[in-house]
Amino acid sequence: MNARLSNNLSDKKAAITVNNVTMRYQEAPVVQDLSFNVEPGTMVALVGPNGAGKSTLFKGMLGLHPLVSGEVLFNGEPLNNVRRQIAYLPQKSEVNWDFPLTVGELAVMGRYPRLSWFKRPRKQDKEIAAKALEMVEMTEFKHRQISELSGGQKQRAFLARALAQEADYYFLDEAFQGIDVRSSEILWEILEDLRAAGKAIVIVHHDLEAVDQRFDQAVLLHRKLIAAGDPATTLTKENLNTAYGGPQS
Amino acid sequence: MNLTELTAMLRDINFWVPALSAMILALATSLVGSVSVLRGQSLIGDAIGHASLPGVMLAFMLFLTRAPWVLMLGAMVFGYIAYRLIEYLAGPDKADLDRAQAIVLSSFFGLGITLKSVIQSHPHYRQVPKAGLETYIFGQAALAARKDLYMIIGVAIFTIILFFIFYKEIQLSIFDDRFADVTGFKPDLVHQITLILILALIATGLRVVGAILIAALLIAPTVAGLQWKGSFRGVLRVAAVTGVVSAFLGTLLGRLGWPNGASIVFVLSLITLVSIVIGTHSTLRKKRMSRRL
Repeated sequence: MNARLSNNLSDKKAAITVNNVTMRYQEAPVVQDLSFNVEPGTMVALVGPNGAGKSTLFKGMLGLHPLVSGEVLFNGEPLNNVRRQIAYLPQKSEVNWDFPLTVGELAVMGRYPRLSWFKRPRKQDKEIAAKALEMVEMTEFKHRQISELSGGQKQRAFLARALAQEADYYFLDEAFQGIDVRSSEILWEILEDLRAAGKAIVIVHHDLEAVDQRFDQAVLLHRKLIAAGDPATTLTKENLNTAYGGPQS
Repeated sequence: MNLTELTAMLRDINFWVPALSAMILALATSLVGSVSVLRGQSLIGDAIGHASLPGVMLAFMLFLTRAPWVLMLGAMVFGYIAYRLIEYLAGPDKADLDRAQAIVLSSFFGLGITLKSVIQSHPHYRQVPKAGLETYIFGQAALAARKDLYMIIGVAIFTIILFFIFYKEIQLSIFDDRFADVTGFKPDLVHQITLILILALIATGLRVVGAILIAALLIAPTVAGLQWKGSFRGVLRVAAVTGVVSAFLGTLLGRLGWPNGASIVFVLSLITLVSIVIGTHSTLRKKRMSRRL
């Protein structure tokens, strides 16, 4: 495992099981009877055309959208038992960027799930947050308001929050959209380290090019599961045609 | 007023008791009001403030008393009804939020004024002492009654303590309620708690600054804070100082014959306006700077 993360993470292995999940969005079925597994130490891409149900499924896995039937298990346990172990990087459009919050405050927020009521972040929490900022190379922006960052810096700041959380499960919604090359490199490096540490990583991804190079597994969906597994065998021309309804350029 | 008179007044306990009450109340509204402003719900505070008035009048009509606790509970109940009604009228996507706020504000406030004139003219209320009910509309000329002060201090300290107990949870749920939800923080519960705090402070603050101006006490301090700081903690600090200083200066002006509640809001608004123009973090200033470049 890379030196970046060395002493910051437990070696706990993390696996996610999605069993026969069906979901609706405003009465219309969006996800139907969908199943797949995320093995410990793997990075999984959720891919499919707009409206395929990627985001809905993603939200369903996180308990942000109800499941009509089926279940999602984390190391065999329901979501409610592992909530504090889940790191979540929201889509950029879902964040209130005008909120008065500095990069440093955002990183410390990652410690909140580990603190009980009344408890304020202690020195140790601040150190862990500071280390997370160092890992994403954002220490110099510690006092900057989040609105004053570039797209890539914004993602790195949120990744610092996730790292400070020392979570087992990582969920990223379109994390690579509109970010600079350096930020993208940092994000990939850190995700690869997390993978090496046995964590489970789920990413809603739209760039089909990178999937077979970067991910261990692809889940291709269009309402229902079209294919899941090794990206090379999953994202075949035939499957993509089924999902996107025409040949991809 | 000359310097000797001023020092004499600053040594007078009869100045400090109301001044400190107003300052503690302002500290509480500054902190809790930040939740409304940062969630983009400033106007809901204004609507609830106005809508509390019929609650005060109905509580008086039912219980024939001016006891501040009774009237405060009436105000809270109506504030809550107004909040729920706004939510309902705004629709599931909050598409009609501004209309809902305007309609609830004016209809409830109108009802309050009507009830007040009923109380004044109807023979049933002739025997009951009712002086002071109008202060719930425009605020008090001078804070004096001990009963009022105890209530103000009690409610303000209670809300300040709760705000600090739930500081993490409040910060998380207003900035990123999805993250709060995923990691098990129950943001809906936090929203309910902050709503109760806001309702309690509005109902209490009504006694000091009146239904028309109460929203300023909740909203203006945070707006001022946002003009100077980019961190959550920094905004809260500036808001708190702004609220407390305004309450002090307003009470001082009250001693010079200005209406007490209105002068607090006047000073507060003045500080906020100046902050919007010259604040180091103000949007106006940033726009001026970028135009110059």
